Amino acid sequence: MKEHAHNCPGSMMMDRRKDSDAAEAATGKVGSQLRQWPIQLHLIGPTAPYYQGADVLLVADCVAYALGGFHPEYLKGKAIAIACPKLDEGQDVYVEKIKAWFDDAKINTLTVMIMEVPCCMGLSALAERALAAAGRKVPVKRIVVGLDGEIRKEEWL
Amino acid sequence: MDKIMQGRIKELIVRHPKVGDVLAEFGVACVTCAVGTCLLKDILEIHRLAPEDEQRMLTRIAEIVYPDRKVVVPLRKSEPQKKTGEPFHSPPLRKLVEEHALIKRVLARIPGMLRQMDLDTTEGRQLALASVDFIRSFADKCHHAKEEDILFKCFDGNLDIIKVMLDDHETGRAHVRAIRDAIERRDTAAAVKHLKGYRQLLTEHIRKEDEVLYPWMDRQLSDTEIGRLFSAFAAADAPMAETRRRSQEFISMLEQRFGDAERGPR
Repeated sequence: MKEHAHNCPGSMMMDRRKDSDAAEAATGKVGSQLRQWPIQLHLIGPTAPYYQGADVLLVADCVAYALGGFHPEYLKGKAIAIACPKLDEGQDVYVEKIKAWFDDAKINTLTVMIMEVPCCMGLSALAERALAAAGRKVPVKRIVVGLDGEIRKEEWL
Repeated sequence: MDKIMQGRIKELIVRHPKVGDVLAEFGVACVTCAVGTCLLKDILEIHRLAPEDEQRMLTRIAEIVYPDRKVVVPLRKSEPQKKTGEPFHSPPLRKLVEEHALIKRVLARIPGMLRQMDLDTTEGRQLALASVDFIRSFADKCHHAKEEDILFKCFDGNLDIIKVMLDDHETGRAHVRAIRDAIERRDTAAAVKHLKGYRQLLTEHIRKEDEVLYPWMDRQLSDTEIGRLFSAFAAADAPMAETRRRSQEFISMLEQRFGDAERGPR
């Protein structure tokens, strides 16, 4: 793996072509587990039917590209929204929407999936702010995904 | 080796007492268990030792059971490390661990309480009755009830580890009934005996749950089940606010009266 010096680990260039070639690639058609639209956090309605009482994934944009088994292992059976805590604007709206999941959609659990780069922790922080402001509490889990597609950490907050 | 894995642990220890020492060395306290009907294969699943430790432990057990044979124990395939900080507790199980912490604060004060116990005095009887009230209302109706009515129902009731925990609850209730009877008869010696017994039982019971049972349950439960458990616990706790307030007051009173020096089980 080649790395190049850069100030920010979130946008540091990495060349992993050799590692990727070595990894075993799944063959055959992999069915999508996506059961809703839209998915971008600015576009979703937090009380849409598929969020009611659901186990919800709040996923940083890059995660699904890094994690080979994202659809069958994580998305299956869950509702989803995606966001980028580094580039997206209007993140106070995000906090309100996540809070509405807790209070109004009465979701069952929230799993925040982020990359291991420092800026991605911002998404987890938004979820924690929303949980602190919500009247109804639910279990919130954080899954940190490595740039190599491995799970670095999985913990209940 | 399959025969050992499918065997009941108590029978194995009775036939080969040194197996108990090996288990204890790896933090598996089956020797002290009153039931001992768990199968070795289930014990391995519940304790989830590091693969290398599991291999070393099983190899030594095989050497004890089959001294004339060379048994090769394969290394269990290691799972990816997903969780940090052991033991790992999800929010609903963390809630039960927090309740354990409150119960342990009372258990820690029992020795000091027993040294001054005198059921011939009104004050002595009141303190003993307050202890019984805490055990019945908080430890039993608030805490054990959540386990029995909600948590344990997520699992097969025939599992030995669940049976062991339910047995502990019943033994605890028998101690409390005996304490209540002793207070009525003003029999200080009997009350002391059963409070000591309750403290010993609960101290070990809580350790088993915090360190073995709950982490194992967390590994078995899906996220959906964790969310449902959390909601069910919240609903069960909603009418218990007054009990919690009274229990906190009782603990503060005990700590003020018997100090911090007795924090044995904490």
